[in-house]
This record gives sequence, structure tokens and C-alpha cells, in this order.
Amino acid sequence: MRFPEILPFKPRAVAIALTAVLSLPAAAVTNVGWDDIANDDQTTADVLSYGLGLKAQRHSPLATISTGNVANLVPAWSFSFGGEKQRGQEGQALIKDGVIYITASYSRMFAIDARTGKRLWEYNHRLPDDIRPCCDVVNRGPAIYGDKVFFGTLDAAMVALDRATGKVVWKKKFGDHKVGYTMTGAPFIVKDSTSGKVLLVHGSSGDEFGVVGWLFARDPDTGEEVWARPLVEGHMGRLNGRDSTTTGDAKAPSWPNDPTAPTGKVEAWSHGGGAPWQTASFDVATNTIIIGAGNPAPWNTWKRTAPGDDPRNWDSLFTSGQAYVDAATGELKGFFQHTPNDAWDFSGNNSLVLFEYQDPKSGKQINATAHADRNGFFFVTDRDQLAAGAGYPNKPTALIGAWPFVDGITWASGFDLATGRPIEQGNRPPAPKDGVDKGDTVFVSPPFLGGTNWQPMSYSPQTGLFYIPGNHWAMDYWSEHLTYKAGSAYLGQGFRIKRLFDDHVGILRAIDPLTGTIAWEHKEQFPLWAGTLTTAGGLLFTGTSDGFVKAFDAKNGHELWKFQTGSGVVSVPVTWEMDGEQYVGIQSGYGGAVPLWGGDMAELTKQVTQGGSMWVFKLPRQVAAN
Amino acid sequence: MHFISLMAGAALAGALSFCVGAAAEAPHPAAVDPLGSPRWGDLQRAFFSAVPVVFDDRVKVAAPAVAENPQSVPVAVDAGALTGVEEVLVLADFNPIVKVLRFVPGRARASLAFRLKLQQSSPIRAAARTADGVWHLGGTRVTTTGGGCTRPSAGTGSPRWQQRLNEVSARRWPRADGGERIRVQVIHPMDTGLADGIPVFHLETLELADRDGQRLMVIEPFEPVAENPLFTIEAAVGVLDQRPLRIAGRDNNGNSLQAEVAP
Repeated sequence: MRFPEILPFKPRAVAIALTAVLSLPAAAVTNVGWDDIANDDQTTADVLSYGLGLKAQRHSPLATISTGNVANLVPAWSFSFGGEKQRGQEGQALIKDGVIYITASYSRMFAIDARTGKRLWEYNHRLPDDIRPCCDVVNRGPAIYGDKVFFGTLDAAMVALDRATGKVVWKKKFGDHKVGYTMTGAPFIVKDSTSGKVLLVHGSSGDEFGVVGWLFARDPDTGEEVWARPLVEGHMGRLNGRDSTTTGDAKAPSWPNDPTAPTGKVEAWSHGGGAPWQTASFDVATNTIIIGAGNPAPWNTWKRTAPGDDPRNWDSLFTSGQAYVDAATGELKGFFQHTPNDAWDFSGNNSLVLFEYQDPKSGKQINATAHADRNGFFFVTDRDQLAAGAGYPNKPTALIGAWPFVDGITWASGFDLATGRPIEQGNRPPAPKDGVDKGDTVFVSPPFLGGTNWQPMSYSPQTGLFYIPGNHWAMDYWSEHLTYKAGSAYLGQGFRIKRLFDDHVGILRAIDPLTGTIAWEHKEQFPLWAGTLTTAGGLLFTGTSDGFVKAFDAKNGHELWKFQTGSGVVSVPVTWEMDGEQYVGIQSGYGGAVPLWGGDMAELTKQVTQGGSMWVFKLPRQVAAN
Repeated sequence: MHFISLMAGAALAGALSFCVGAAAEAPHPAAVDPLGSPRWGDLQRAFFSAVPVVFDDRVKVAAPAVAENPQSVPVAVDAGALTGVEEVLVLADFNPIVKVLRFVPGRARASLAFRLKLQQSSPIRAAARTADGVWHLGGTRVTTTGGGCTRPSAGTGSPRWQQRLNEVSARRWPRADGGERIRVQVIHPMDTGLADGIPVFHLETLELADRDGQRLMVIEPFEPVAENPLFTIEAAVGVLDQRPLRIAGRDNNGNSLQAEVAP
């Protein structure tokens, strides 16, 4: 409002009076350092990373709210994201110094006073009309470092905002939004132990439009790229502004050749997907970024298979799997593919949770990665083997175990632990016959929306169980002809989502990572599309598409508390401590992929009314004291 | 030239008193504002409290008495008759966002022509601060139809701004006096954030400098500057040489622009 530097005199009282009159936010911003982020899973006063820690376990040591008192949980406040922009709210909030930083639909970020719910600032990104998000205009959250917060925008840019004011510090466009590059995932902060540099790591989205998926590492202060890694085999990476190495084998043997093409490879190779659009986890010990790689493009398996050959001979690396990337160089050190030559859009993006356990046979500690895939299987892989970085990145034998976490899987009966490959059941949709537009229809479960999807699972070191927000559903599925056209959907598949059971779609399951045993389950009428959170209070928090926030006993799945938020909950809960009290925060606002792609689900989800708000809960003081 | 509020040592008391609603030291606003605006008292409190302000005929604001398009009202501000102008602030009394633009003349003449958006008929003022800390105010009234700030920008309806965002067109002309005139246009929707569903999106800095980095002018446009802003800048004889002039800028979303304009 004014320019204090040019005042002829500056009595202190004037400045104070002005502050009072204009009610300027007197936000005390303390810088977030690497140690704060590295210890995020242990510190209770803040939430500084997606996943509540580098291992993405989504577990809080807070125990004030417990199985014994959670029934008394009440709202502390609610904040509306407002406007006409009430679509899916899929964010995970970050909390520092009593301020909540949360992203909302249409590339918005809000800073909210965590005590009162008062808006401190808002950044509203001006989006062009020609953005191409496949699955709603969502955003999954910010990253925080120093005096800045960071988030990705739907027009394929990364933006750094000043935490005190919400003003843009830098913006970096990383792809052409007109051809389909976009950004919905939360960025992540890591520290490269080789250089000692802190890096902002983020991916790209756009597999449904035939982009090549990239993972980026930037200087958080300036936004300048440090390295970039494409996830389609044979594409060239960058390091410090120069070409670095090709991903995997330069000849890309997992993609067919086409001698008539200028690239020498089939068309799909140039548009091969693999976008790492969700958030990484970070293994400090091996300096490794661990992130899911998206589905190959197009979905049509025959476009990625040599004519007349078996698709199982053409893996479409490095898509639909888990990638282990060197933080120093961006080299792909290791890769485990959940779905070789994925024909069903079983994108490998779902959360990758790092955990350790004692091997029951040898008694040795195993450093493992857990992942519940779209394809219906829960994977435990050998993190050390995958992060070791020796030889060819694809390491199918790093598989320790793969168990179904949903019922009725049609595409594979299981995994061969000796080869690390699926035992397929002939469920690939056949190519269209000559002179016909569409191939024969096959029935597939889970459908492309997955046994679970982006909504992150959580782990409880107390119970030793993983908590997967899953769904039981299926699809009719057929192949179609296609050619790449920039900016158009690049699928080559038709589908219709169907019910699998009459009484439920959502299936919340607790799974034992050592045996694959389902410890308990909880059914929901509506699809589950919210992440889960565990606490040392023995609780599991999540939300439902019909608007409830719920708390369960993590041991047995008993529902202990629920609260109706007014719209569907498709976000990710967090918890923190402030003024001696434990708080739980989650966003309400229905949207995401289900209502857009949902088939049978449309009938269900049309009952859900729109909204867009942040909800914060706590115990009444007298209850907390007892 | 009439002094209306030269506050010195007593300013502290005055500054404290305005926050409780009493501004005893200030003369009655309507009695002294040459434009007779009921908003003058508010503006004075918001922008010129505890600083000396004079209404000064040497600060000229030229604009049409009647402007048919409230989304693009041409205005020429000229404080070049003053010496040692350090910054100029342009205000529109009745706009929902009062602050229109600020510029630091640098080596250019303390003048700037551009277009602005008016929400309703309003005084438009320019306040030029000289090195002695005194703000010199001049202004004019513009009558217009309403809604210039709350309607979507014209460009929003077409993909043009998306394809050409921050594209710069610029030209330099010799003036009869041996100096130069520079015109710069930037493609930008300059959304005020007041139209339904359209976030605030405006150019926030535009800097013109010569090859040695010497600033010709720094312009800080705010939301009410008209879309695809067009600026006219005057440089006296000898200020510019035959080398290209550099233009750099950024909007509030962090989109930057860089351009050069040869003589």
C-alpha cells in the first residue's frame, strides 16, 4: 500500500499503527532446513513432507487422540476454498509455525492460520484454457523448504511462493501443456549427499496424451534444473544443462523397432508415457529417489509389441513400475516393473513406502519397499538391491513378495518369485481384426482405475500392517485403432467401468507385508479415493467419497468415529500438535478421476454434492485432559 | 501551488490518531482537493499519511473527459516540469483497486502515457515525489460507463493471450527536440481478479535499461492497467545512444519477458 523506504522520517509508532489499521499478517516465518525435513516422521509440531517423512509411511508418533477418546473428536474450524472452483480436493496439507499450506483445485494454494482457520494468503494461478488434465483439475499438495513453498500447476509449471506473502518467487515451465504435459502431484525435497545440495524433485503428468514422462531435480532457491530423467528407455537425460545418459539401453530393446520410422522405433516409443506424476520417497542411506513410473502410452498393448509377437516379449521399459534414481546424477539405478508391457493402464505411480523388517528365516534386517499397485497386487521389493546401481536397471529378481490385496483379479494369478514376472491369464484385449474398428471385448478386474489408485496407503510400525484404500470394480475393455495426434488422448482402448459387488466398491484393507495376509477389511458403498494416516494412538484416519472423515482402530478395523464434511473426501489426512493439543486436518471436495471416467460409478457419485474446504478436528479440552 | 499537509514533528501524533478515526491536523479534504473528490481523505490516509503533499499544477494528467470504453481509458501523466522526480504514483479514486501504476523515471522524463480500466467515472491522479520528499499531485476527472474492472478482459475470450503472453512490441522514434519517444506494448490480459472465476493476473514490473544497465524507467503496473498494456516513454536529448534498449519484466505468476528495441 505504501513505500516506507521513501518516507522522509520513519517513527516506529507509525509502522505499528499501520499494522493495526491494515491488519497485515504478522507471519513469523522460520526457515525450514534439511534436518527438519529429514526428521519429519519424528517431529509432531509440523508436517513438512508429502508422506509425513522421507519413507512416506504416513505415520505420526502422536498419541493424544487414541482409540479410547477418538469418539469425542470435534471440528475446530472449517475453511472454504470458495469461488466457482469446487472440484476434487486431493491435497495433503503441510504445517509449519502454526500455518497450514494447502493446495486446492485449479492450481491454487492457500496459507491458513492453523489455530483459527483464518486465511493468510491465497495464490491463484492463471490457467490457460487449453490445459489437458486427464482426471480432474486436482492438486495433491505442496513442498516446503527455506522460506518458500512449491507446487505444480496444471499448465505444466513448478511455482515457488514466498511463505510469508504468497508472492511468486520463481516459476519454471517444464513441458508444453498443449501436448498434454501437466502437473498434479506434490513435489518433494531431498538432499543429495554427494554434493550436499538440497533438491526439489518433481515429475510430470500426461501419459494419456502420449507424453514422455520426466523426473526433474531443481535448485529450490532458483528453480534451475539440476538434472532431468526421462522414463522411456533409450531417451536421453540431462545433467547440469547438458545431455547426460540414455535411460537404460540406448537401443531401447524393450520397445519394437520400426525401420521405416525416422527414430528407428515404433511410434509409441516417441510418446511412451511412464510419467512419474506422484510423489517420491527418499532413501537417505543410498542417496536414492524412489518413485513410481506411469503407464506406457498408448494403453494399446499391440502398439508396443512387434507385429505378430507376444506382448510379453516387449516390456515397454521403464513404465508401470518403481524407479530408483540417483539423487546426484539422475541416473536410473534400478527398476522393478509391476506390469510388464502394461495393457490395462496399470500405472505404477501409487505410493512407494520404505520400511524395514526382520527376515523370519535369516533374522537379518531387510530394507524393503512396499507398493499397492493398480494391478491389484501388493509388492514388497528389496530396496538395497534396487538402489545398488549395478548393471542394467531392470531388476525383476528384486521381488520379495507379491500378494493380491483385492478380490477377483483377472489379468494374472500371481507372480513367479524366481523370475519376478506375472503369471498372466490371457487377459490382454485382442487387437482389432482386419477391417474392423474394435477388437473383441474382455472383462478385466481391477479396471484401469485400479485395485487402488493415487490415494496413498500408510504403514503403522505399531501393528506392522499396511493400510490400503482399495476398490472392488472391473471393466469391459477392448482395443481400438489409433495414431498419435499432439494434444489428443492417446489410448487406443475403449472401456466401461462396472461393479464387481452389489454391496460395496470401496474396500479398506490392512495387509501384513511379510505374509500378504489380510488382517482386516472395511467395506464402503462408494469408491475409496482418500489416503490413509496411522498414529501412535492406534488409529487409522481416512475419508470417504460420501463425505465422511473416519477413524478406525488400526488393529481390527473397528470404525470408532466419523464426521460428515458436506462433500466427498478424496484428500489425504495429516495430524500435528499445537499448544499441547493434537489436531487432524483433511480436505473435503468431491472430484478426481472416478466421476469423470466412472461408468457404473457415475450413478453412485452423482449423489455427491460439490464443496471445497479444509477441515480441522481436535478433542474438546476437558476430554483431552482426562 | 498550495500546501495542504506539511507535517513535521507533530506527525507522530497525527499518524497515531488516524487509526482511531480522528485526523485533526489534516485540513478538511473536500475544501482543498481541487477535484472535489469525497475519496481524497481516504487516499491521503492510505498513501500520503505523515508525508508532505501539495496540489501542483505542474503535474499534468491528460485523459478524455468522456471515455467510451471503461476497460481502456488513455491517460498521459507528465511531471516533467518538476525537477528531481523520484517516483510517480497513479491513482483512480473510485476504482475498487485504487492504485493503478507506479513508475520510477530513472533517466527518462517523469512522464508516462498508458491505458487504464475504470470501474466508474472517477478522478485520476498522479502523485510525483521529488527528492525533498514532497508529493506533488495533479489530476483530472473522467466520465465513463461502468464495469471496467469487473468484466473479463477481452482477450480472455480468445486463445490469443495464451499463445502470445508477454510478447513485446516496441519502437523508438526521434523527437523534434533531438530526444526519443519509446512505445512498448506487452500482450497480457491484466486480469484484476474481480471478474468471476478469473484469478488476478497482471504484469508487475517492466524495466527499460540501456546496454550499460542504466535504468531508463521502471514501471510497476497494478491490476487496473488496461490489458495488453501500451506505454509511451520520453527520453531527453542525449539520454540514449544508438545501441538497443533492453526491456525486462515479470507478471505476478512469475512469467518473465525479455526484449530489445533498436533505435
